[in-house]
Amino acid sequence: MKILKTYFLISCLALVTMSARSQAIPNITDSRLDFSLPDIKGDSLRLSTMKGRVFLLDFWASWCGPCRYSNKNLVKLYDRYKTKGFEILSVSLDDNKKEWKKAVSKDKITWLQINDSGGWEARSAAKWQVDAIPASFLIDKSGNVVAINAEKKELENKIRELLGL
Amino acid sequence: MKTIFLGIALVCSVVAHTQFTKANLQASGLTCALCSNAINKSLQKLSFVVTVKPDIKNSSFDIVFREGNEVSIDELKNAVENAGFSVASLKITGNFENIPLQKDGYAKIGNQAFYFLNASGESLRGEKTITIVGKNFMTANTFKKYGDKLKSASSSSGKFDNAANALHVYHAIVS
Repeated sequence: MKILKTYFLISCLALVTMSARSQAIPNITDSRLDFSLPDIKGDSLRLSTMKGRVFLLDFWASWCGPCRYSNKNLVKLYDRYKTKGFEILSVSLDDNKKEWKKAVSKDKITWLQINDSGGWEARSAAKWQVDAIPASFLIDKSGNVVAINAEKKELENKIRELLGL
Repeated sequence: MKTIFLGIALVCSVVAHTQFTKANLQASGLTCALCSNAINKSLQKLSFVVTVKPDIKNSSFDIVFREGNEVSIDELKNAVENAGFSVASLKITGNFENIPLQKDGYAKIGNQAFYFLNASGESLRGEKTITIVGKNFMTANTFKKYGDKLKSASSSSGKFDNAANALHVYHAIVS
């Protein structure tokens, strides 16, 4: 009976630690989330090197209407906070690099831009379990994800908070 | 030796059979259909689907079917609906082996039957694309345009249903 009880306790403990693990806050330095992708010039950028900065990791594509609409808000947001230490890292899932570059210049995007061609099969999208775009993750200075798909107002409030404004 | 020939003959006859090869499907919903992986995933689960690729220019999905498999139009529709969207347009391309099309006539393709709204005594031969006409296969506005044509067609499709042991009859147009 005693053995049974111990078994029960152990399995409970295992369950608790397992769930605690899955609830751990995702961090960009985790190898399961890290990736390295080329920017417009072809220079590669590794996600984990962004540690120490407050930034928005944003998944999009030129053919995604709602993403293009969201870019309008991001342009304003970026203008307001870029000098205060805020950065945006956009990952485009475009297969067609020409379309990607066209959209970047048309939407007047001046923040960090990298491309992971392959649509939904793109590795970065799979790593971050992106199943719909636009998808965004707000990252704090320690590399932790602090907000996922935050709405306009909520996102700005969070950014201000993280920048200590 | 005989069996080999028989085998070859059998393979040839299968190849020559009418077979749907691909489709172009447009989906509509409250959100952008291409921006979600839901439809893509749902369609890829179907046994007769090989690949699903977004057709960005037409905001639709290009679907390639597995050779030798029966393509179920209802399963395609259900996959889209299970993903939370509805079919706004479904165009299916097939290789047809001389299927006669008479006015007010039907064509049986595999286990499905088709009533062609624009049939005029020709036959379906070679590669042709057909558009499925129906409430669950197009937008409400497009469906309205077919209203009268469908009314006269559905009365006769009922007769066909009985005759063909209640096969599912789809209305379609050949483009």
